[in-house]
Parts: sequence; structure tokens; C-alpha cells
Amino acid sequence: MDEYAIGVLTSIGLLTFVAASAYLLLIAGELSFGQQAFFGVGAYAAGIATAMFGLPLPLAILAAMLLGGLAAALVGLPALRLRGLYFAMATLAAAEMLRILFELFHWQVQVGGEAVGPDGTQGFRGIRWVFERGVEPLGFLGIVWALLAGVVLLFILVERSRLGTTIRALGEDPELAGALGVDVLRLKLGVVAAAGALAALGGALFAHHNTYIEPRNFDIMLGVHTLAYALIGGLGTVFGPLLGVALDLGLLEGTRVFQGYRMIVFGGLVALLLIWRPRGLLDERMVHWLRTRR
Amino acid sequence: MALIDIFQNTLDGLTAGASYALLGVGFTLIFGVLRRANLSYGPAIMLGAYAATWVSLHTGAGLLVLFLVAVLATVLAGSYVERLCFAPHRRGPAAAAMVASFAIWMQLEELATLLLPRHLYAFPALYEGGALHFGPFSLRVESLLMLLAALAVCFVGWKALYATRFGVAVRAVIDDPRAAELSGISVGAISLRVFALASAIGGLTGFLIVASHEQVTPMLGMWSTLKGMLAMMLGGLGSLPGAVVGGLALGLIEAHSQWYLGPQFRDFIAYFLLFALLAARPPWMNTRSAY
Amino acid sequence: MLRVQELVTAYGKIEALKGVSLEVAQGTITCLLGPNGAGKTTLMMTIAGVLKPKLGTVSFLGEKLSGLAPHAIVARGIALVPENRLVFPSMTVLENLRAGAFQRKDDFDADIERLLGRFPRLKERSAQLAGTLSGGEQQMLAVARALMSRPKLLLMDEPSLGLAPLVVEEIFAIIAELHRDGTTIFLVEQNAHMALKVAHRFFLMEQGRVSFSGDPGSLAEDEVIRRAYLGSSRN
Repeated sequence: MDEYAIGVLTSIGLLTFVAASAYLLLIAGELSFGQQAFFGVGAYAAGIATAMFGLPLPLAILAAMLLGGLAAALVGLPALRLRGLYFAMATLAAAEMLRILFELFHWQVQVGGEAVGPDGTQGFRGIRWVFERGVEPLGFLGIVWALLAGVVLLFILVERSRLGTTIRALGEDPELAGALGVDVLRLKLGVVAAAGALAALGGALFAHHNTYIEPRNFDIMLGVHTLAYALIGGLGTVFGPLLGVALDLGLLEGTRVFQGYRMIVFGGLVALLLIWRPRGLLDERMVHWLRTRR
Repeated sequence: MALIDIFQNTLDGLTAGASYALLGVGFTLIFGVLRRANLSYGPAIMLGAYAATWVSLHTGAGLLVLFLVAVLATVLAGSYVERLCFAPHRRGPAAAAMVASFAIWMQLEELATLLLPRHLYAFPALYEGGALHFGPFSLRVESLLMLLAALAVCFVGWKALYATRFGVAVRAVIDDPRAAELSGISVGAISLRVFALASAIGGLTGFLIVASHEQVTPMLGMWSTLKGMLAMMLGGLGSLPGAVVGGLALGLIEAHSQWYLGPQFRDFIAYFLLFALLAARPPWMNTRSAY
Repeated sequence: MLRVQELVTAYGKIEALKGVSLEVAQGTITCLLGPNGAGKTTLMMTIAGVLKPKLGTVSFLGEKLSGLAPHAIVARGIALVPENRLVFPSMTVLENLRAGAFQRKDDFDADIERLLGRFPRLKERSAQLAGTLSGGEQQMLAVARALMSRPKLLLMDEPSLGLAPLVVEEIFAIIAELHRDGTTIFLVEQNAHMALKVAHRFFLMEQGRVSFSGDPGSLAEDEVIRRAYLGSSRN
């Protein structure tokens, strides 16, 4: 497989983590413009862990997920009672605040005679743990997709479980869910934290793939893109966000056919698709139909 | 001397706030009538400004022509957004319309950069002379024009809403779209017209902004959307006077924060204020529906 | 004047109207009675264009109405006074009336004067916000607003709902007056007693279908009332 294809596939995998985190919030009934911030938290956390403190990648990933979940919970807690556009605006405000904090974040330690660490708007370079251990791009692709497969499996299990039904019930009709005994606020907080951890996982891998991250990587455009991926791919299954990412990065960018006007095509496609399918390609009805065919 | 700084910053804040107020009014018009947030508002404005820049570069036309081009282009872009993203979802879920509008946001931004690929373009100045000075204070003529434009729009808008048949229809649709239809008002037709009106206001604002700064950049799209949304939300979602107050307040907060804390904190504080207000949910913020 | 044929309206998969057929003759007061959930409001909303029928037709003076938007139906001379009144709360009484006259190209100030004269309580409050009016006043405003479009057919959905008995009498006096002035009226009512006093013809609806039609003498009043509230099935 050539390097370009490996690169595209890796990017698809990485972005699917953050698209899936937006998807999780969507099925719980909320629009979030802020998942990119937790992607960033994960990236910085993992980078700090491996590049500045020499911790191994698995530990760094865990630390990233923990911090991402915590950050999300901290943001989510005051915003918990908000709904719809208000909640979306709160996530946007929080994400931008976090991005500005990344711009102001300076912390460097001496590693092997060099200063390593986040340097505000200059970014954070030298996150080379993976490549210092001789992992090839193909190998890293394997790591990303193995972890993604694990996440997908987890999603499938949860969707089939009572928890999954409850989350979807929360998304469809929170008042009814509450009336049926669901602790709506606690569940929502849990979903927010889980989505944050998920985005952070993607961010941790992203940092190690790129070896260099800067606050600009985690701006609103990424958030807008992730939401679009989840919504166009479909809200019926976790394969929806994957499909959404693959459509843009794989089909549109990967084939290089639409060089220079990829967003024009993708944007128009999304808008048109939403007229026909307001809940995405793989929406609940499609998934139900597919399941009952067997 | 601190008092002079405070006054000067207040003045600067109000003039910046005037542009935010205009952006907020355009946003709120669309939100009030269609009950949905239009995330392509800023990009449509940017397209208008870019169209005017393109005309300026290729024909050297005068400011009046550029102004008309900007407004026309913004109205065209806005109508495109309305037809594609909002009209089809009128009876459906609100999220679909919002998501479609940010898909078109991406589309319009790329269209603009295809039209003019560089990161920065010069734009003819709105006013060639120096600033006005009165005592230790200074006020740029461009800023004064922005303030006057905001006042004019508010005045004309007020008259239109309360003294015309169209205004009655718009307020009826804002109040209760179903009752409006049953009274013989076509919500679809009013929506399209209000969208065009909001786009025209946006075009005017965009023109004034780029002519005041004598430059145009691709950041204009996202910037306008964010400022418009912040103004709308600070003043209480869905309220037109609120949007004006919100815009002015945003300008004031930014000007003073920047003076004492620097540009990064200026943005941080604006977002923090929005987040805090949303979290605290004071009564004036909770107008109408969540979308 | 108004003919409904085999009308089927559904909410998703649930059919609220299962094939309704009825007629409203010009110059009459026709009344639709029936228990809650029979589909009366659904029928009114379908005629007014707010809901789209799945099957069947609605025709008015020979012209098919089905599929038109509500404002187009107002243009053809039908106005609905909806069940929950739906006044414009942040607009004044006067502005509410102006909104009702939106489609009119002529000078309607005389009409406003006339209507305010007929509804003196509205005249007193003409500059007041509609959201601050009492239930009865809002009902009158809703009727007045509908009348501003000079409809040939006035649809009224439960005009007496939630109103005090004295106010209800006033409303029905107005209905009789409107009829005398030439407006055809089709009204849905829970208050079968009052409705039968003014109606020339009535229809009973149950579970999405018309189960009986006739003039007020054709069925003993207590039988009508029983069917109107409880339905005629044997459960």
C-alpha cells in the first residue's frame, strides 16, 4: 500500500474518534460544537506524557482519556440543564476558551539537552515516541484501527444494551425519559464525559502521528467538520460517523479529484443529503431496515 | 489619565459594538422569524465583501458601486442558503437546517477563497482623511460612519416593524407562525423576505468593516458569524433590541478587556461571559425556543 | 358550500381521520359534535390547511382545497378560529386585527371600527397586548381577527372552551349575529346544548368517522348529548 493511501486511512481513523464523540452526544439529543477541544486536550496530554516525561504510549493514552473526560465533565456540569442551541453555544464558547488556553500554555522541560513542551501559539513539537521506537506508518495505522475497532465494538455492545436504549430515549424525549425514572442529568453528564474521553483518545493518537500539534489544529472548523461527519454519516449506528469521515477524507480528498474545491462539493452534498435524509445516510430507519433483512 | 483611557476605550468599544450590533440584528432577524440559527450568515457576508473586492481589483470602481455589489452578492448568497438549508426543513427538525447551514458555510468559504486565493487583499478606504479629534479623544470617521449606519438601520428597522403592513406580518410570524398562517400570512414568503433583508444588512455591515480596515481576509466569515451569535445570545436570544444591546455590550467588554489584559484575554472574556450567562440562565436570556 | 369527501388524515402511522364525509350548506350554522379524540380538531386543521390529508378531498365552492397552504385557504374565503385561540401575545389588540387583515388590499379601518364596536371589551383594550387579555377576551379577539379577512366560511374550533357561562352566551349570541349578517359557520363544540340551540344541522363524529348527521330535531337532545360525550358504541 503506498504511503499516501496509508496517510489517508490513518487520518480517517483518527477523525472517526472525534466524529464518534459528536455522534454519541447527538444520539443523546445534543449538538456539540466543542468536541475538537477535547481532541486537543488529549493531544496535549499524551504529548506531554511521552515527550516530556518519557511515559509509554498506552499510559499516555489512558492519561489523555482521563483528562479529556474530566475536562468535558467540568465543561458539561454548568451547561447540563441547557438544551438545543443554548447547549451548542455553550460548547462552542467552552471550546474556544480551551483553544485560547492552549495558546497561552507554555511549559517546557529539558529532555536530552533540548527544551521540549507546549510553547503557546508556537505549538508543541517533538512528539516522536512512536517513531523513535521504529514503528512504521503502516504499523501506526494498525494501532489506530485496532483501537478504533475496540471503540466500535464497545459502541455496538452498548447500543444493544439497556444503557444504549436509555441514551437514545434521552435523545428522543428527555421529559419522558425523566418521567420513566431516568436520572436525566447524571446520564447526560456521563455521556458528555465519555464523549470527551473518546475525542481525547483520538487526539492522543493524532499528536503521535503528526509529531507536532498547535492550537490552530483544534479550532471551530474541526468541530464543524466533525459534527457534519456524524450527521451525514447517519445517527443510526456508530458506522455512521465512520462513513461520514470516509466520504470526505476518503472519497473527496483521497481521490484528489476535487482538488481545490473539495469543500464546495462536500458542503453542497451535506446540505442536499439532509433534505432527503435529515438524520444522515445510516439513520435509524435504515439501520432497522438493514437489521430486519437478515 | 486613566479616566481618559476609560472614555476612549468606551468610545472605541461602542464603535466596534455598533458593527457587532448590526451583525446581531441580522442574526436575530433570521432566528426570530425562522426559529433557527443560520451559521452561514458570516460566510455570506464574506462572499459579499469578496465580490466587492474582486470588482474593485478588476475594475477600480468607486465605493458606491462596491457597496451595491457587496449588498447584492450577500443577498444572493443569503437567498441561496435560505432555499437550500431552511426552506426544505421548515416543518422538519431544526437541527437539520442548522447543520445544512454550516455545510454551506464550508462551501461558501471555499468559494470565496477560490475567487480570491490570497490571504490578504487591500480594499479601498472608506474615508481618506484623518480621525476627528476633540480634546484628548479621537474618533475615526469610519467608526462614526459605522455608528451612524447602526443607528440608521435601527431606526428604519423600528419604523418598518411597527408602522408597516410588512412589519406586522414579520412580528406575527415571530410571535406565532401557525397563527400567522391562519391569519393569511405566508410564513414562507415572509421568511424569504426577512432573510434577504437580514442579508442586506449583513452586506452593508461587511462593506463598512472592510472599507474601514482597508483590507479583507478569509477570517471575515467565521468572525462575523461568531460576533453576530455572541451579540444575539448576550442580549437574549430572539430579541432585536437585545441584539443591539448585546452587540454594544460585547464591543465595550472587548475594548476594556483588551486594554487591561491584551487581545487573547479579550476573546477569552467574551466567550467566558457567554458561557457564564448561559450557565446562570438569567431570565432575560430565556426567550423562546431552544433552536 | 364546503364538501369533505372520504378524508383521511394521519399523524405518522396513526389515522386520526378514517374517511370523513360531510357537507356544510351555504348560509347555515353547522355544528360538529363528538367525544374527545374523535378527530374534530384534526378535521378543522385539515380543512384550514395546517394538516395535509393522506386521502380524500376538501372542496369549497367547487374548488379543491386539499394541499394548499393555510394562507392560500384564507385567500379563498375560509378563516379558522383555532382551538387554543392563538392570538399574537406580544402584539396589541389592534395589531392582531391588522394581522388578520393582511391579505386585504382595501382600506379596512372601517371594519376595525365596526368590529371594535361589536366587541366593546376589545375596544377598551385596543392598545393592550393580547397576551394580557383574559380567556374570554382572547376568544373574542380570535373571532374578530378571523373576521377581518371577510371570510365566506368561518370555522370555529371549540369557541366556548374554558370560558365562563355568561361569556359563552355572549359568544353564541355573536355566532347567531354573524349568521344573520351572511357568514356561513361551521363549528366544533363540546357544549352540545348551546350548539344545538343555534345550529341548523349537526354532525356527530366518533373515532375518526361521521356517525350521525341530521338537524337538531331529528334526535332527542339527551341522546345527542350522550353520544357527543360518550360515543354510541356499546363499551
